[in-house]
Amino acid sequence: MAKSRRAGAMLSRDGPANVRAGMPAPSAWACHPYRRRASAWHPGLGSASLRLVLRRLGWGVVTLACVYAVTFVMVISVPGNPVQQGARNLPPAAAQALRVRYSMDNNWRYFGEFAWGALRGDFGPTFMYADWTCNQIIAQALPVSAVLGVLAIALAVLIGVPAGVLSAVRRDRWFDWLTLGCVLVGISLPTFVTGSVLLLVFAVYLHVVPIGGWGTLAHLPLPAVTLALPFAAYITRLTRVGMLDVLGSDFIRTARAKGLSRRTVIWKHALKPAALPVLSYLGPATAQAMTGSFVVEKVFAVPGLGQHFVNAALNHDPGLILSTVLVLAALLIAFNIMVDVLYAWVDPRIKGAV
Amino acid sequence: MIRVLLLGCLLLIGLAGAWYGSRASEPPADFRYVNPSDLHTLDPARMSWTPDLRVALNVWEGLTSYDPQTTAPVEGTALWPPTCSPDRRVYTFALRPDARWSNGDPVTAADFIRGWRRAVEPGTAADYAFLITDYVAGAKEYGRWRLEGVGVLTALSRLSDGWRITPEQAQALVRHPIWRDVQAAGGPASLPPPAADDKPAWDAFLDRLTRGAVDWRGFHDAAFEAHVAEMDERFASVGLRAVDERTLEVRLARPCPYFLDLTAFPTLMPIHASIELLRECYRGAPLTAEGLVAYDPQWTKPDYRRNGYGGLVSNGAYGVADWRFKRRLRLAANPYYHDRETVACQTVDMLVYPDVSTSLLAYETGEVDFLPAMEVPFDHEIARLAESGERPDFHLCVTLATYFFNFNCASEEVEGRPNPLRDARVRRALSLATDREALVKRVLQRGDRPAHSLVPPDAIPGYQPPAGLRPDPEAARRLLVEAGYAPGSEVPPLEILYTPSDERVCQALARMWEEELGIRVELRCKETKTFAEDRAAQRYLIARANWYADYNDPTTFLDCLLTGNGNNDSGYANPAYDALLAEAAEAADAAVRAELLQQAEALIVEQDCPILPILHYATPIAIKPNVHGLYPNARLVFPFRYVRVER
Repeated sequence: MAKSRRAGAMLSRDGPANVRAGMPAPSAWACHPYRRRASAWHPGLGSASLRLVLRRLGWGVVTLACVYAVTFVMVISVPGNPVQQGARNLPPAAAQALRVRYSMDNNWRYFGEFAWGALRGDFGPTFMYADWTCNQIIAQALPVSAVLGVLAIALAVLIGVPAGVLSAVRRDRWFDWLTLGCVLVGISLPTFVTGSVLLLVFAVYLHVVPIGGWGTLAHLPLPAVTLALPFAAYITRLTRVGMLDVLGSDFIRTARAKGLSRRTVIWKHALKPAALPVLSYLGPATAQAMTGSFVVEKVFAVPGLGQHFVNAALNHDPGLILSTVLVLAALLIAFNIMVDVLYAWVDPRIKGAV
Repeated sequence: MIRVLLLGCLLLIGLAGAWYGSRASEPPADFRYVNPSDLHTLDPARMSWTPDLRVALNVWEGLTSYDPQTTAPVEGTALWPPTCSPDRRVYTFALRPDARWSNGDPVTAADFIRGWRRAVEPGTAADYAFLITDYVAGAKEYGRWRLEGVGVLTALSRLSDGWRITPEQAQALVRHPIWRDVQAAGGPASLPPPAADDKPAWDAFLDRLTRGAVDWRGFHDAAFEAHVAEMDERFASVGLRAVDERTLEVRLARPCPYFLDLTAFPTLMPIHASIELLRECYRGAPLTAEGLVAYDPQWTKPDYRRNGYGGLVSNGAYGVADWRFKRRLRLAANPYYHDRETVACQTVDMLVYPDVSTSLLAYETGEVDFLPAMEVPFDHEIARLAESGERPDFHLCVTLATYFFNFNCASEEVEGRPNPLRDARVRRALSLATDREALVKRVLQRGDRPAHSLVPPDAIPGYQPPAGLRPDPEAARRLLVEAGYAPGSEVPPLEILYTPSDERVCQALARMWEEELGIRVELRCKETKTFAEDRAAQRYLIARANWYADYNDPTTFLDCLLTGNGNNDSGYANPAYDALLAEAAEAADAAVRAELLQQAEALIVEQDCPILPILHYATPIAIKPNVHGLYPNARLVFPFRYVRVER
């Protein structure tokens, strides 16, 4: 090895980089053994991926601003009076007073005030439910949707990944056909059908869980399973396709030829690159699951965020529409960035070059 | 790595389970009922939806309250019966000595005046403010004065922020005394305003106002101080007076036989003094910069603490214990309520189930005790079960509400198409060609009653509506010929504007008219909010509508068709009709009054037909057999303090 060393170059065992370069000795902290370059922790990380994250965050902010502007234009263009939320026609004087109160008499003023409030974390009032602010509604609904969504995604991964792997390994045998059949049914069946059937079977006939609502352990399994099924179906398909792709590649053949056991080859070597499409699907899927599925929430009376998207739009409520859309956009951007970072971590061949 | 991921998933599931399992479950409430969507507001002055009104009737108590079976007014916070002056214009209410708020404070007349004043203020934007402004002397003038002041202060406030104001706001500003001071100060804004319809000159004028170096903030503050100084003096001319701490005197603008019905309505409920701690102030005065009376909307929360506020204080049989949005509203019995010994259910839960079918399942399995509304897709099945007696716990409440269609009586043309409905004969012909029995019994099958009049029959004591028009296609065809639409020059196509829930009725109507009268009918479905705007702006030919009675008197229906009434969506304007209603308002004798109202309604349903009554609702409700004290009634009023549940 010493023969291949470049003339004049020092080995790393000769000292830290700046010493080798002939620069003055650094401070004690800089020499501390815990302080290493990011790439020393894991080959997939590095200053390149840090730059990537920062760049993506910057673009994320720009995206949020564009989403806000486009949604605002749509909200004010839609016909209908947002301050009219009662059962009777609001007298024009009262409608005008309300518009003044909420700065809706001037669209530019409302645009600026809402944006300024949103930057400070205050989404302002909602017209639909006059006693609550958008912040309160989202603060109450988002954790519920988040718990349900994370649980559903976790279940979906738990079911989907092993099923997809086994289906790919036992390709064209009965297990594969059964899995593909289940996947087709899982993707095609709408959640209000599966949800209603599960509700009838487990809550009404078997009395195992309460009919709907939220707050105890028993309220969790049914909506989580209903929400997980379509995601599990997609994840199974993606894993299966990814695995089939990877199983045919050279390095797998090398590993088998070297004598590694089937289990090691599949679960340790093949699954990581095969999981990449699943990972890129999981990003937006988690964001989508976390912000609630309207149908699941309606059927199981779960007080989540999904119903607020739909109800705010139906009621032409500008504050709630804008705040829920911004929350969803922020979550989507955040999860997409996380997925990109995870990419580099999962597959060291992708060094933040995505 | 994948093992890490799977282990992480399992850990997440385990953590979620552990967290949920560790939460102590609360005991179930004594009585539980369902509300499909959460309350729009708990503010009694601002509410207008029936589920909100239902909660307010239990959380607050007005001067009177409703009888649970007949919905007639009975004793509330005031002793019964109140004294009425011989000219029936002055009511004196003596409050019960044991009437208390939920924090122990006694209920005073000032609390009622505060609540009523708040309902009249433009900042509250109460849908039902007319219940006070139309009846209490001086309230309308006070409201109008306040609105003018708010308009001027808004314009000045916007100008001082540098925003451009609208021509209407500028015209209001110019009419106000403060304009003299602006002109006296000189500068570019002191030039006189242009003529009313000179648009370019107005644009230039508004530009001068916005860009000129005028001390708008100074003028705004001056106008603000003047307005605040005059406010209490103006309110003193309203017919509300606290004779002493426990006596309230109300002076009406005109005699009102149903005033005691109005005093039970949530808009006229008292408000506790602690709300003043949450009032928005500007420069130390209790108004916003635009001159609006505004309170922190969080005042209705039981656990809201700010500026010394101790949470919601109410005087009804129940207080709000807990309100989790879109989940549950828990009411707890008020320990200071004057009839607290008779209140059997100590806690009441209002559960929110967005899907009505799920709530029905919850009712069937015993998780809820009462369903006040069952708008399911299989409503004909519910009606059948209720009518046949197979399900004795299902009741069809004959409701004081009518479903009808508005005809556009005013516009010459609608979106470029001529409007044949301006001719009353065409409208009458359409009414004669409508077979309401078939609609109700064969198309909808929901147990509703066919309607030939606007006011439901056998509903309001002392009043029977006229017979209305029975189906007579021959007479209808003759009327069309008389109106000039003989075969050869037919009636132009009519368009029915409706919301998604009216699909079947509109198709049936279109079929009937096409078959009997040969009129081509087009159907246009719009989503509710856009529909409401189109209807209010009269951009329709025929539009669906419904009306629920606000009080137990025919005028709650008939007032809607007065010329210029805010809810007169058909644009009907008949001086003879207005005169009849005005005469009935002054009539002293109840029989004479009923006779006049009947004549007015006959104009509506038999002659001019600005509306097409279809049916009177029969609302299906479900009450568990072990629940006593809830009675099907026409106003869907369910006071919970009479409820007793046997477990």
